[in-house]
Amino acid sequence: MPVRVVESSAPSQVSDFTPGMHTFECWTGCSLAPFFFSPYAFSGTQNVSSLQKEEAWRVNVRIQGCDLEHGYLCGTMEALNVPMADTPVVTFWEGEIVDTINYTFFTGKWEATPEDDKKHWDKFLSFAPFKSQVEFDGGKTVDLSNYPYIFMRWKEQYFVNVGTDCGLTIAGFYYVCFSCSDGSISGYYYDPNSSPFQKLELKSTNEGRSGFSFSSYELQ
Amino acid sequence: MPTPASALASASSSHRRASSDLMVRIGSADSEIKLRALRELKNQIIGNRTKKLFFLKLGAVPAVSCALAQAQAQAQADLLVQSAAALGSFACGFDAGVRAVLDSGAFANLVALLSFPDDKVVDAGARSLRMIYQSKLAPKYDFLQEKNMEFLLSLLNSENETVTGLGASIIIHSCETVVEQKALCNAGVLKKLTSLLEGSPSQKDASLESLATIIKKNPEAASKFVSESRRALSSVIDLSKDRNPRTRLLACMCLIVIRNTSPCHLQDIGIKTKLVYLLLELLDDPGQVGEEASFAFSSLLAQKEDLQKLAFEANAIDKLHNHLQKHLLQPRRYQGILLALAELCSKLESCRSRFLSLEVLNLVTDALTHEVADVRTAACICLRSVSRSIKSLSAGRFMKEMIVIPLVRLLHDPSTSVQVAALGAVSNIVVDFTTAKSTFLQCGGLKLLVQLSKSMDPILRFNALCGLRNLMFLADNTCKERIFLELTAPSLSSLICDPEPFVQERALALVRNLVDGCLDSIKYVFAEDGIILDAIGRQLQNTSKAEIGIQGMYVLSNIASGNEFHKEAVMHQLLLQVNNGTQAFILKFLQSNDSQLRTAAIWTIINLTIPSSPGASSRVVKLRSASIVSQIKTMVNDPCVDVKFRVSTALGQFMTIGDGST
Repeated sequence: MPVRVVESSAPSQVSDFTPGMHTFECWTGCSLAPFFFSPYAFSGTQNVSSLQKEEAWRVNVRIQGCDLEHGYLCGTMEALNVPMADTPVVTFWEGEIVDTINYTFFTGKWEATPEDDKKHWDKFLSFAPFKSQVEFDGGKTVDLSNYPYIFMRWKEQYFVNVGTDCGLTIAGFYYVCFSCSDGSISGYYYDPNSSPFQKLELKSTNEGRSGFSFSSYELQ
Repeated sequence: MPTPASALASASSSHRRASSDLMVRIGSADSEIKLRALRELKNQIIGNRTKKLFFLKLGAVPAVSCALAQAQAQAQADLLVQSAAALGSFACGFDAGVRAVLDSGAFANLVALLSFPDDKVVDAGARSLRMIYQSKLAPKYDFLQEKNMEFLLSLLNSENETVTGLGASIIIHSCETVVEQKALCNAGVLKKLTSLLEGSPSQKDASLESLATIIKKNPEAASKFVSESRRALSSVIDLSKDRNPRTRLLACMCLIVIRNTSPCHLQDIGIKTKLVYLLLELLDDPGQVGEEASFAFSSLLAQKEDLQKLAFEANAIDKLHNHLQKHLLQPRRYQGILLALAELCSKLESCRSRFLSLEVLNLVTDALTHEVADVRTAACICLRSVSRSIKSLSAGRFMKEMIVIPLVRLLHDPSTSVQVAALGAVSNIVVDFTTAKSTFLQCGGLKLLVQLSKSMDPILRFNALCGLRNLMFLADNTCKERIFLELTAPSLSSLICDPEPFVQERALALVRNLVDGCLDSIKYVFAEDGIILDAIGRQLQNTSKAEIGIQGMYVLSNIASGNEFHKEAVMHQLLLQVNNGTQAFILKFLQSNDSQLRTAAIWTIINLTIPSSPGASSRVVKLRSASIVSQIKTMVNDPCVDVKFRVSTALGQFMTIGDGST
């Protein structure tokens, strides 16, 4: 979700892999699957409070692609009640799944130091079992394959429906934790130039249904 | 300068007279006259396709063939050389000429020349036969006959390089199966060809091409070649630095074949990088080498992310873009460059990103309307590859009239391969995560996709359904309604019951997307007395294919996420067989070895038993009676984490509802 510009935004990164030639659900095989193998919708809020003002923006997230083999996922994030925008602001983001194969708990980019990483991951209760190991070796030897939570980083790449002159920035990124059991997502936005620890809280939505519905596509 | 029409007519008539005269002289009984006529004919047709066709129509080939037979009977070396050379010229790069030579019966006589005591005659015969073996029309050589293998070895062992070249041409032309490759290996052909790598320039080329033919897709042959002599592989690597561009290209192609056949060889980053740079350099060759280099480059990159990355770092996208910008590209070169770009953009987002930033897309779009079908196909494949980018699809970069209109036109292209390739690109582009799917509908794309989904050709039906499934993905209500009205319920139910399982699976995936999203969209499966839902139930009961089960169960799961009426309709399908005394298909799916199928099945149960739904309790009772609840209880420690979590959700719901059995 974009936040107000404080300083000029950082250049966007280009991920080196996107999925291809596979059905969305073919990439499943780990605990992300139930909610992620179908482009799934989540909604909730991001707390953007500052010292001056309590404020939370409503947020919708849709997962559009996921490739567990490469630790990649992507989607869109829609911020609904952005004060300076006439319409909801949609951004496209790309994510890194912390699987200790493709990505570790340490970000190594986006102006995040290992200290920043530790401070943010530490906010998630589900991170506690790995804390000491991450302190020791960055968590390289941790086995996350059967853990009921998935840790990720989401980095917004571009604005989908507004120009870059909209007065908002997507310079930061999110530390994210997904709960496999209830499909909820929590996250913390990190941008050295924005309010610290803006909390993102999302729950899976079923769009007026009495249950869960899944669609799928395949890129050839 | 303008010429009076009468003058042109007169010139043409005099040319015809001269040609007829030439034909008469070829049939002359005087050897000197015949010899001069044959030489004259040969000189006239060399490299001149029009002349070849002209003399072909005049019946020159049977006449020359007759001259060859007569000269053979009388052992007249000069006449043999000239008649063989003339026949070879007819056959050179000209299939109609090859056909005429074969029809004239000259082939056996040309083979007989190889045993003639005069070297010049042998050389002429071998040269002529080589021309013939360069055509697909040449007769297949049976390597499995001992006599033939001996003859081939005698050719390869010859001192005459044209004869060894003929041996290589025969291998390149006729070695197609693993059995033939094995027979050639066992006969020691690899060893012989390896020794020819140090021969004359033409022997090197012929040997490289033959080696590639024998090794291609045959790991045993590849290992034998690499292990038989230390020199073998290094000789090929050395030849990739040869001063002759064709030799360099053939050496690269041979190395690519070895690597693609046995990936354990040539893993060294140095050789991989070298191949990338060599082929990019060879692309600059203005002739056939440049044309073929792009195909070799595609083959090097195919399915290999590491090589695609190396090529990207070597600025391959920019170089191919530069080639594509040249005017009047020959169709084969055009096709090769487009296919190379397609391979480069098939996996890496960095390549696609560069492709789009250089605006290569505009040039590829132009190629969609090229007059040659192979170029149109290649343009579609390239577009398909670059449109695998979810990042660009999300930005709506492809759903534009300048791309969609020519692409939609190709859906009714006379060539099926163009249609299939266009469907591939369309399928990706219509995923479009923005709300611009209407652009595709406005361009008439929907009508054509639906038409193709009813084609007699199952490949076209399958690919059209891939497009429709992706078009339906996250489509708004208006779009869904238009697709459904165009497709109709009876057609959709026929596609679900298609004779081809892969078509059935796609049709079910399409219905899955149809009933996703807005609750109102579930109504479509109940249209026309529920023929779609009934077809799904029948397929699920009868199928043994997990893929069909998965898509079918997600359709039922999506319907079961609707209201009470929808849930009860799904219950009816699940328990229909139980009521008939047979096992419910959902039980079979819950017990399946395929974890995705188990997951899909358990989601259906979750949706049927959402505690807040009024009929959940009675449905749990029915599921319990059908042994479905007890089956789910056995799955609490399912090896698949997805299934395990969903089983836990389902059991939690049963408990909340108060079934009492948990």
